[in-house]
Amino acid sequence: MKQLMLSLLGGAALLAAQTGANAQTLINGAGSTFDYPAFAKWFAAYAKVDPGVQFNYQSIGSGGGQHLLLNRTVDFGASDAYMTDQAMAGAPGKILHVPVVCGGVAIAYNLPGVPHLKLDGRTLANIFLGKITKWNDPAIAGQNPGVQLPAMPIIPVHRTEGSGTTWIFTGYLSSISPEWKSQVGHSVSVNWPSGVGLGAKGSEGVAGQVRQLPGAICYVELAYAIQTHMSYAAMKNAAGRYTLPTLEAVSAALSTAHVPPDFRFEFPNPPGPKVYPICGVSWVLVYQHPDDAKRAKGLVKFLRWAVTDGQKITPSLDYAPLPPNVQKQILAELDTITY
Amino acid sequence: MTAPNHRWRQFKNGLMQTVMLVCAVLAILPLVLVFYYLVDKGFSSLNWAFFTKLPAGPGETGGGMANAIVGTFVLLMLAPLVGVPVGVLGGVFLSEYGGRRLNWWIRFSADILNGVPSIVWGVVVYGLLVVALPAPFRGTVQSVDVAKHLVTVQSRTGARREFAVDAETRLNLNGKIPLASLRPGTGVLIWYHNHQATRVADSISAPGLWSSVVAAIIQWHNAISGFSALAGGLALGLMMIPLVMRTTEEVLQLVPHGYREAALALGIAQWRTTVQIVMRTALKGIVTGILLALARVAGETAPLLFTALGNRLWAHLTQPTAAIPLQVYIYAISPYDDWHRQAWAGALVLLLLVLVINIGVRFLTRDRLRGKV
Repeated sequence: MKQLMLSLLGGAALLAAQTGANAQTLINGAGSTFDYPAFAKWFAAYAKVDPGVQFNYQSIGSGGGQHLLLNRTVDFGASDAYMTDQAMAGAPGKILHVPVVCGGVAIAYNLPGVPHLKLDGRTLANIFLGKITKWNDPAIAGQNPGVQLPAMPIIPVHRTEGSGTTWIFTGYLSSISPEWKSQVGHSVSVNWPSGVGLGAKGSEGVAGQVRQLPGAICYVELAYAIQTHMSYAAMKNAAGRYTLPTLEAVSAALSTAHVPPDFRFEFPNPPGPKVYPICGVSWVLVYQHPDDAKRAKGLVKFLRWAVTDGQKITPSLDYAPLPPNVQKQILAELDTITY
Repeated sequence: MTAPNHRWRQFKNGLMQTVMLVCAVLAILPLVLVFYYLVDKGFSSLNWAFFTKLPAGPGETGGGMANAIVGTFVLLMLAPLVGVPVGVLGGVFLSEYGGRRLNWWIRFSADILNGVPSIVWGVVVYGLLVVALPAPFRGTVQSVDVAKHLVTVQSRTGARREFAVDAETRLNLNGKIPLASLRPGTGVLIWYHNHQATRVADSISAPGLWSSVVAAIIQWHNAISGFSALAGGLALGLMMIPLVMRTTEEVLQLVPHGYREAALALGIAQWRTTVQIVMRTALKGIVTGILLALARVAGETAPLLFTALGNRLWAHLTQPTAAIPLQVYIYAISPYDDWHRQAWAGALVLLLLVLVINIGVRFLTRDRLRGKV
């Protein structure tokens, strides 16, 4: 009995110690895995700018981020698919879309001995439709003269949860392939052709899966492909050139986009010789009139920093910086947040 | 002289014994393999930083799981606060009190609850404790902007708030009233999320006791709602209830009936017999059951996904909290080698934790077998 009391006391002390662990404001966010590498860098750098706030970001996927924001269980959501009017109608308050990063979706693959690969959108659609099943298929070999392609089966890996990366990817394929548009469509989570490939959770999961499976191919935010040293394909753009998702190519794609006042925009397969064709913007989703003033204040201050000074950090992860005029537009939008 | 089928019977006997031996080994083999694998892969990653440092960012090397280890201990301290009182008292009721038919239903429900997938507990607690309720605001209408769907209300303490009252809002609790008919000076009770009113009740006079109590409860609920260690602990605690209840009942049933009769014959009240004779006799068994339930929930990931959520930092009880199983899950599906390494180490730590609890159980039960009850 005495021991029991002692251990209970010890437990209470531990709880008390943990409760007193931090006096900083904790801001919770969840959503996009596309953004996660950028957020991780930002949070580390921002600790020096405003040591009074801390951020906890859980990369559960864009769909999850939207859902938790609608339930008001997080201070901000992050999504690389914008919310539809219908989705926002059920929200307890107006939701603002704050673009924070623009990135390329890399087509990463695991094919030993093939460090460079060229693909066009139609071939990519056919791979994910299950119509091209071998790596040495003429459709692939034709675009890659001189490359020794093995007769290995192709394993397309897709995201299982609601994902903004899926939204950007299926948006691109829908703009290229009418068959894809009618059979699979453009959404954060689609009905993948049955029996084709595998599913994995999160960008982390998809990248992890492809790394371990020779013959696998996936679409994943570029930072993940680079961090895990995977090869990714050069994609044929609308001008007929094969481009890699470099900083320049993604920036060029972003410069073609028309940015509407509510920032809900996409630009699948944009025109121009230098652009990379599969790019998208990722948004932080916040309420215009949040309840908790202290956290809202910290969050707005952070967002102002992220879309200006923060944009100087993200190019190291190959996210394209937001153009100055868009930055100004966003700052004006952030000014409308009251708490 | 042996029977004609002697050799055949010997063969059958040997065969069946071999089959049983193989099955027994097969049952133990996974444990041995899991343990071997975890030690092999995880042990080399266990270092000082693993126990003392916070997690590193994606793609970076180093860091540790200090917050997740503490988080798991915190959860394992919170869970019994819910699971033990309800489970033990429920078990006592089943064994010592209660009618036959009622007990059958309780046992039946507890057994079904034991089989409920653990993620369900997470979802239940998500609805109960994570999602905030609409908050009440009481005051008098200052102005109504019908075009913009806005109502400004001032409370008795002088606080002024503006609420969006649109088509989704239920105006008046009994049937709808048009927004235009809401006049300045009317007393209203508004339920709201953010600045969006979800319900507006008009013609409200002084607050009654009942509504004040409801408002206080909601305010208290909203103050602690959100992803937190509390929510995670509650989910694990709910999982423990049926486990503890059934084991408690079973060990109480093992106490010889004569003990109870002897106590009652001496004129000791039934509650006293139950607490001081029956429960005292079975105390070690009850504690064993509690520890086993604790070991069972210690490794659960699913109930924590929607409740504790996970955190890369230290946290208060009311903030999202890291836990070893969550961190192992997140790290295991990641593409980063260093995270894989730490996932193995985390799994090893978790296994050792459960092992320590189980050894504690052995220790207690060994004592009991010696007849020191």
